[in-house]
Formats: sequence, structure tokens, C-alpha cells
Amino acid sequence: MIPVYELFIAIRHLTSRRRQTILSILGIGLAVMILMISQASMVGFSQEMYKKTVDKMPHITIEPKPDDDHIYLYRSLAEDIRSIDEVIGVSCFLLGQATFEYEDTSKNIIMQGILIEDHDSVLHINDDITKGNLRDLEAIRNSVIIGDSLAEKLDVKVNDMIDASFPEANPTALKVVGIVDTGTPLDETLAYTSLSTAQDFFDESNVVNSIIVRVEDPDTAQPISDKIDTFGYPSSSWMETNPEILQTLMIEGMSNIIVLGMIIVIASFSMVSTMIMVVMEKTREIGMLMAMGVTRKSILAIFLLESGIMGLIGPIIGVSVGILVCLYFGSITFDMGEEAYGGVSTFPFIVRIQDAASIVFFTFLLNLVAGIYPARRASTFDPVEAISNE
Amino acid sequence: MSDKKKIEIRDLTKIYGDGVEVRALDGVDLDIEKGEFLAIIGPSGSGKSTLLNMIGILDTPTSGTILLDGIDITTASQRQRSKIRNQKLGFIFQYHHLLPDFNAIENVMMPLLINGIKKSKAKKIACEMLEEVGLYDRANHRPNQLSGGQNQRVAIARALANNPDIVIGDEPTGNLDSKSSDIIYDLLRKLNKEHDQTFILVTHDERMAEKTDRIIRLVDGKIVENSKVE
Repeated sequence: MIPVYELFIAIRHLTSRRRQTILSILGIGLAVMILMISQASMVGFSQEMYKKTVDKMPHITIEPKPDDDHIYLYRSLAEDIRSIDEVIGVSCFLLGQATFEYEDTSKNIIMQGILIEDHDSVLHINDDITKGNLRDLEAIRNSVIIGDSLAEKLDVKVNDMIDASFPEANPTALKVVGIVDTGTPLDETLAYTSLSTAQDFFDESNVVNSIIVRVEDPDTAQPISDKIDTFGYPSSSWMETNPEILQTLMIEGMSNIIVLGMIIVIASFSMVSTMIMVVMEKTREIGMLMAMGVTRKSILAIFLLESGIMGLIGPIIGVSVGILVCLYFGSITFDMGEEAYGGVSTFPFIVRIQDAASIVFFTFLLNLVAGIYPARRASTFDPVEAISNE
Repeated sequence: MSDKKKIEIRDLTKIYGDGVEVRALDGVDLDIEKGEFLAIIGPSGSGKSTLLNMIGILDTPTSGTILLDGIDITTASQRQRSKIRNQKLGFIFQYHHLLPDFNAIENVMMPLLINGIKKSKAKKIACEMLEEVGLYDRANHRPNQLSGGQNQRVAIARALANNPDIVIGDEPTGNLDSKSSDIIYDLLRKLNKEHDQTFILVTHDERMAEKTDRIIRLVDGKIVENSKVE
């Protein structure tokens, strides 16, 4: 326990040189505030990036066995995967190449035969349908939904008929029942049709060549993928198929912490230099305290308490103001135009309590460590020299 | 025989300096009785303050011993020294050396708080001490709001707060005019009589030294005179 008088002296020192104390606290507070805001926006933008990328990709992809072209008995495999707790969507589909022709234009495309509800549960494709209706894929025979860029290139609209030719089947006319905009380059080559239609055209009844899975928390995709591996089909998580996403987030996060950590180190240094000045100014006082019987340990405690108190109040103020700034700017909606920042219209600040707590804790610790030097200096004074110091 | 004797100094030597050797104290032997009021005098550089710092265990001798109540304080640990300084010794310096950020009563309370005495009790004792030095009405003034003489009286109240056995004064009136000096001297004398504490004062002021019980004169680190004042 800290004896009363050390704290009494430390607090009185701080309140007596109010201006210096406030400046030191504000210096640390300002640095911490910047770190808090930056961290909140970092977390927010990461979440945004997650939403824009990971959320739109299959979390886990299952492929045919190495020597096969297809996944057989896919229905029971899908059931097994669905029985895993964290899995919230499974979609089996058949991919194949085809050529679409409308009037004089033709394009090679990738046709994806899907079960609409299953596929929607994994990729939320219904949200991306800009024209037409997803349900029509199964309601109307020989229908397709095509990517918006593809539709533009072929110059087709909903309800137009396009000619499709397949490697293994006779050319057929397909009715366009919808346009999809996923916001990715896939929109140039993508065409959805129903799974049964695809199986007919590719002459592959009762097989699929890919299964995709959505899980509750994208961060847990890897262990679930490892579990699916044990069912006998090669499975890979989004971390394996797109490792650059995590790398980007990590590099951004690291550089953020390094740069802002430096600012806090600088603020702490200014606090230390203030403390060194204080110790020099108070040399005679320290000598007199020693003459009154204050031990070296207690002298150390007095000056460490001073750094510690500033190092605690500073970050608490900084984090509090930082959170208020985040909440205020986070609530403002601004218009940057649809395309400018991918449709982002608010600052995506996310304040996490663990970030706030660890910023306060580490800044406090840093200040305490930085305060050791001036405090140690004070505690090693020779009392006779200190008292006679001019 | 040593139960009455409070301080026994034997062959105390202090040598300063790297290269050029300065003997600040040279084989000093001195016995000081409990309740004595004595003055150490001598020219500048004669070793007065060094001797006082040794008795106050603010400094350590090169050789020799100082027995306080039969215990050799020259070999005590840092912790023991701090404890002895707090409980058995009171210091008054030429400059009051009050803590500038604390008012008079808080300054007097400080040695008591360091001694682990509760704040409420410390405050009560400090009030009594300020009363005794006649500054009760200035209890809430900070050192910069008091005169030199008043500050020195607060410093005396502080030195006596823990009821120490020995009060050490290094030129306690050296920075005051003669009127204030007389007030301080009379106060010290009165306290000495009332509390039966040992007072050891270093002074330049022969007039003041004449009013003490005994004069120790130091020259070049040696005692050249040790005489009772009639």
C-alpha cells in the first residue's frame, strides 16, 4: 500500500505547478486522442473492407477430389456440412462454359447453375439483382440472370431472348429474367441459371463441381474448413484463397500502431523532460525530505506517482475525447457521390472498449517506465549536497 | 555510565577529495549529555558543519564512531538512518528549507506523517507546535507569505514535531537580523528547558554562543576549545 504522505506530496507538487502539469497531461492526452480516433477508424475501415470483400466471397470453397471433375453425392455432403454449428449457408452449383449471342454480338461466358435459395444464403445474390427477379430462374424454364457489364456488352435487357451454345448440348434460346451487379469483374462473364437447367445443358445430371459455404463469423472459417476436409473433399477457407486480404489489413494495422506509438513516445518524453526539470528545481526540497527521514524508496515513489498520475489522467482524457469525436463524426452523413468511396457515406468509426482500455493501460505503463529515470535520479541525491544546493 | 550520555563521538575523521586530501574532521572526540544546549563555533572550513552532518547522519565519516544511546549510527543501514533521522533528530538550517508548496501547518505535519502518524493526530500536534512558536494564526500561510523570522520559527516547530531527542541547528539565525535572531535564540532556549532535548547549534555568532551552556571551538577539523559557559 502507498503510505499517505507520498501521495499527499505528489498531488501537491502536481497542483502547485498547475500550468506545467496541465500541459504535460494535454500533451499525452492529445497523442492518445489521435491514437484512439485513428484506431477506431482503422477498425471501422477494416470492417468495411470485410463487408465489401470477405462478406461477398464464399467463406469456404469445396472442390472435386484431385482426379475428379465433379462432386458426387453432393446432397449428403451438403447435409453433413450444414450440420456443423457455425455454418449458416451451403450452396452446391455447377459451373460450365458457354457462348451467348445476341443480334451480332457474342461473348464467352461462365454459366453457373444454382439452387437460388441456397446460393442466396451464401452470397446474398438477391441483394445484387438490379433488374428482374431471382425467383424467375426457377419459375421460368431456360432462363438466365446475367452480369450488368455482360448485359451492356451484349446490349440485352430483361425479357430479351439470347442464343446460348454449349460444348455438350444443342444451342438453345434463353430468356433473360434479371440483371445482377456484384461490383466485381465477374459481372462481365457471369450468368446464373437454375441447377437443373445447367445440369441438362452440360449433360451432367446429379453432380456439381463446387460447393461454397458461409459461416457465422468469417474469422472462424479456417478451422471449419479443416473439419470439412475430413469429409473427403479438398476444402479451402477464404484466408487460403485470398491471403492478401488479411495481409493488407495486418500491414495497415501495424503501420498505424507504429506511427501513432511514436507520437505517444514523444509525448511521454516531453513529460519526462518536465519531470527532470522538476527534480532539479526541487533538489533542496528532496534533501530536506531526506533529512526529515523520508527513505530513498519513498522519494522514488513520490516522483513515480507524479509521472503515474499524469500518465493515467492524460490517456483517460485523451480516450474520452477521442471516443466523443468518433461518436460525433461517426453520426454525420455526408454526400461524396455514389462512386467516390464505393458508396461509403459515413466515417465508419468503430470504438472497441478493449482498444480504449489497452491504449490507456499501455500509455500509463510507458509513462511510468519513462518516469523511472527522473524519480531514480531524485532518490539517489546525497542529502548534504542536496540541502546546500544553490 | 552511558545511560545519561546521549552522544559519544570517538576519533571521528572525515577526509574529502580526490587527489588533494582535505581533512574536514581530524580525530574528534566529544561527549554530549542529554538536555545540553551547546554551540559549535569556528572559522569557515573548520569542519563545524561536517561534524553536525555526521551527528545528523546525513553524512558518513571516513573513520571513527558516533554512538547514539549506545548504538553506532555510522554503520546503520539506509533504512535505519532514515528512521533515526525522523524520530530522534530534528533539523534547523540557516535557510528555513520549508516545502514551498505546503502551508505552515502542513510543513510542521510532514515529519509526523513520515513517522506514520494519522493526519488528524498530526494536525493536532502541529497546531500545538505552531502555538508554541507563536505562529498559530499563520497556520494556513505558505512560506512565501511569511517573513524570514516567521519561516524560521515554522522550521523550528517542524524540527520539534516528532519530539526528537536531539535538535541540530546549522546557523539557525545566520540569515536573520539581530532582533529576529534574539527571538529565535530565546525560543530555542525555552524549548530546550521545557522539553529537556539536546540542542547542538553551529554558529558564527559569538554573542549567541556565549549564551549557550558549552562552547566547542573547532579549527582545522580539531577541537581546540571545549569549555562550559559560566
